[in-house]
Amino acid sequence: MSGLYGSLSVALSALRASQQSLETSANNVANANTPGFTRQRPVLVPGDPVVLGRLSFGTGVVVEKLQSLRDPILELRLNQESQSQGKLDSVLSALQQIQVNFSGTDSGIGDAISKFFDSLQQLSTDASNPSLRQGVLTAAGNLASAFNITAKNLQNQRSNLDLNVVETVGEINTLTAQIAGVNQQIADLENVHQDASAFVDKRTTLIRQLSNLIDVSVIQTEHGITLTTASGTPLVAEMRSFPLSTLIGSGGTHGVFSGTADISSSIASGKLGGLLAARDQTIPSLQNNLDQLATGLATALNTAHRAGFDLNGNPGGDLFVPPPTGGAGAAGALSLAITDPSQVAASSDGTPGSNGNLAVLSAVHDQTVAGGQTPLDFYSNIVFQVGSDTANTSADLDASDLILQQLEDQRSSISGVSLDEEAANMVRYQTAYQAAARVVTTINQMLDDVVNLGRY
Amino acid sequence: MRVNPNPVPDLLAALSRTRQDTQDALFQLSSGRKVNEPSDDPAAAALLIDNHDRTTFVTRYQQSLTSMQGQYQTADSTLNSVVLALQRALTLGVQGGNGTLSDQDRASIVNELQGIQDQLLSLANTTFQGRYLFAGTKTDTLPFAVDSTTASGVRYDGNDAVNTVQIGDGYRLAANKPGSQIFVAPGHDVFLAMKGLVQALQANTGIDTAIGTLRDAFNYVSGQRVFYGNSMNQAQAQSTYLGTAQLQLSQQENTLGGADIEAAASRLVNSQNAANATLAAIGRISQLSLFDYLQ
Repeated sequence: MSGLYGSLSVALSALRASQQSLETSANNVANANTPGFTRQRPVLVPGDPVVLGRLSFGTGVVVEKLQSLRDPILELRLNQESQSQGKLDSVLSALQQIQVNFSGTDSGIGDAISKFFDSLQQLSTDASNPSLRQGVLTAAGNLASAFNITAKNLQNQRSNLDLNVVETVGEINTLTAQIAGVNQQIADLENVHQDASAFVDKRTTLIRQLSNLIDVSVIQTEHGITLTTASGTPLVAEMRSFPLSTLIGSGGTHGVFSGTADISSSIASGKLGGLLAARDQTIPSLQNNLDQLATGLATALNTAHRAGFDLNGNPGGDLFVPPPTGGAGAAGALSLAITDPSQVAASSDGTPGSNGNLAVLSAVHDQTVAGGQTPLDFYSNIVFQVGSDTANTSADLDASDLILQQLEDQRSSISGVSLDEEAANMVRYQTAYQAAARVVTTINQMLDDVVNLGRY
Repeated sequence: MRVNPNPVPDLLAALSRTRQDTQDALFQLSSGRKVNEPSDDPAAAALLIDNHDRTTFVTRYQQSLTSMQGQYQTADSTLNSVVLALQRALTLGVQGGNGTLSDQDRASIVNELQGIQDQLLSLANTTFQGRYLFAGTKTDTLPFAVDSTTASGVRYDGNDAVNTVQIGDGYRLAANKPGSQIFVAPGHDVFLAMKGLVQALQANTGIDTAIGTLRDAFNYVSGQRVFYGNSMNQAQAQSTYLGTAQLQLSQQENTLGGADIEAAASRLVNSQNAANATLAAIGRISQLSLFDYLQ
């Protein structure tokens, strides 16, 4: 392999290698802003030497492979953080909508409770005054509708979250089908020992998107990868995907199913996990609290109201329609039992001027009616809980965003395309190409010299 | 160590954070509030509900006091008229007891005294905003009715009940004094004493005893005015106290929920500076590339 022709082929290998290296740089530069793209670099190895007697001659250079620079551990951490970010994001958005119902002191249930007790005080200065009696009924009606509106808003939000669950499951199924497809393409290429780097990048991006939606575990297998939820429900097994389905359950909300198994309660993370947590835990717990408050308050006021006499001297009846036994749905259904202002039982002795029973009704303000607390203390607690849940989730999300950003930085520091670096590499490759071309020119001249030997 | 070759996403994230800061500060400045949603300060949001409730009550106590003061004043001036009428009756009684008077003179005194009887009855039936002031809690029933079958000629149809109105936390003030304790208290019955004096003058006997009885009733009624005087003083004192309480609540409200304007203004400036710096950095970075230097 020695001789001029040998040298020519060495120079040609150098030209080819420089060209291929330049192509790699060109591709890196082209994809500098492509999300999920992993920069590649050519791995140059010397050609196998030829041994002639005691001498061993090199045979030039070969681009052995194009190496993609990625850190699988970092990708895993990015996926994990993406899951918790997805969950926090959907929980926060739900909480922010929930807390609207509890913001402001000049409206809502808290204000309605204050105003109702205020109307009792006002009536106590002139117990038989018809417009003040109407004032009590109006305030009681407003109190009931404040409960009704908040309960209805929460129920609507729950329905919206449910709709979102169904949509998210659809997105998950699209992604898992795509990942299975990409797995197929990667396997096809790898079977014929070709570089599947672009598809691996694509799959990495898809898995990241999937991680944002649901908790995903990635398992490397011989022929690709397998994806399951954290609790082991299969999502993708190499070239096959397993779509999740949704089925409306007895509670009126959709369960998430894998085959025939309801996995709703085992999805802990990702957007879907967050939606399910808000739908099945946060809102129902709030609804339950409101029902408890509505039940306690209405029952205590009814008891107090029945202890008195109305304007006509008749014993007082219920002020509110008695809440359902057990309290479920009490806040949504709270309504007045009387409509005639003269039926307000202000009197303690049957005389129209007596305001004695208003003091009994007013005392409910300081009675423990729910959870061992006064009505407003119980309500303040709900507000505090909603507020601190929202604030904490918001802080957690900020932290998660920062962590993701740092991980992205790390990923980018390994896999990202640096234009400076590529410019410098291009100079190197160009110089190498020029040098190899120079060698070819020289050999050409030498061959010329050989061909023309003895012509003169 | 290779650094992240593309810092723009980081800078954009930083920019969006400073923009959020700017927005928060602007919102605080424009609304004057720092607690707009429970998550802004959960503990303050919970305390603000209590503050709002107390403020509602303090305002209501003030209004209750105003309404009660009106009632007290009407009752007090009514009793003042009663006292003046009784004074005149006593003067007339003493005149009538003068042995030198003719029957005709006594008859005209009796005549005037009967007018005072009617006046007293009407005063005892005084109303405030359509409701009888001295009927106990039977405010819709005429409390003092003419009834010749009773000794005094007047029948009390009210009751002995007293309404109290809350004017502070755990502080209730009686709103009324039943007529039975003012006009027809046993032993001090105004109507009985008046009737006794008229009868004594008509019979021209026992006039001094009758004057003595009426003087007792007069002293007693005068004494009852003290109730209204005291109540008005208490109402005034409580009203002053409630004014202070209202001020404190409003200060507390402002501390809990009001924006710290200076802090918000300086946050606004800081966040704008930070945003400018970040923007400048983004501008500089995009200019730097090795490609620019290679020809």
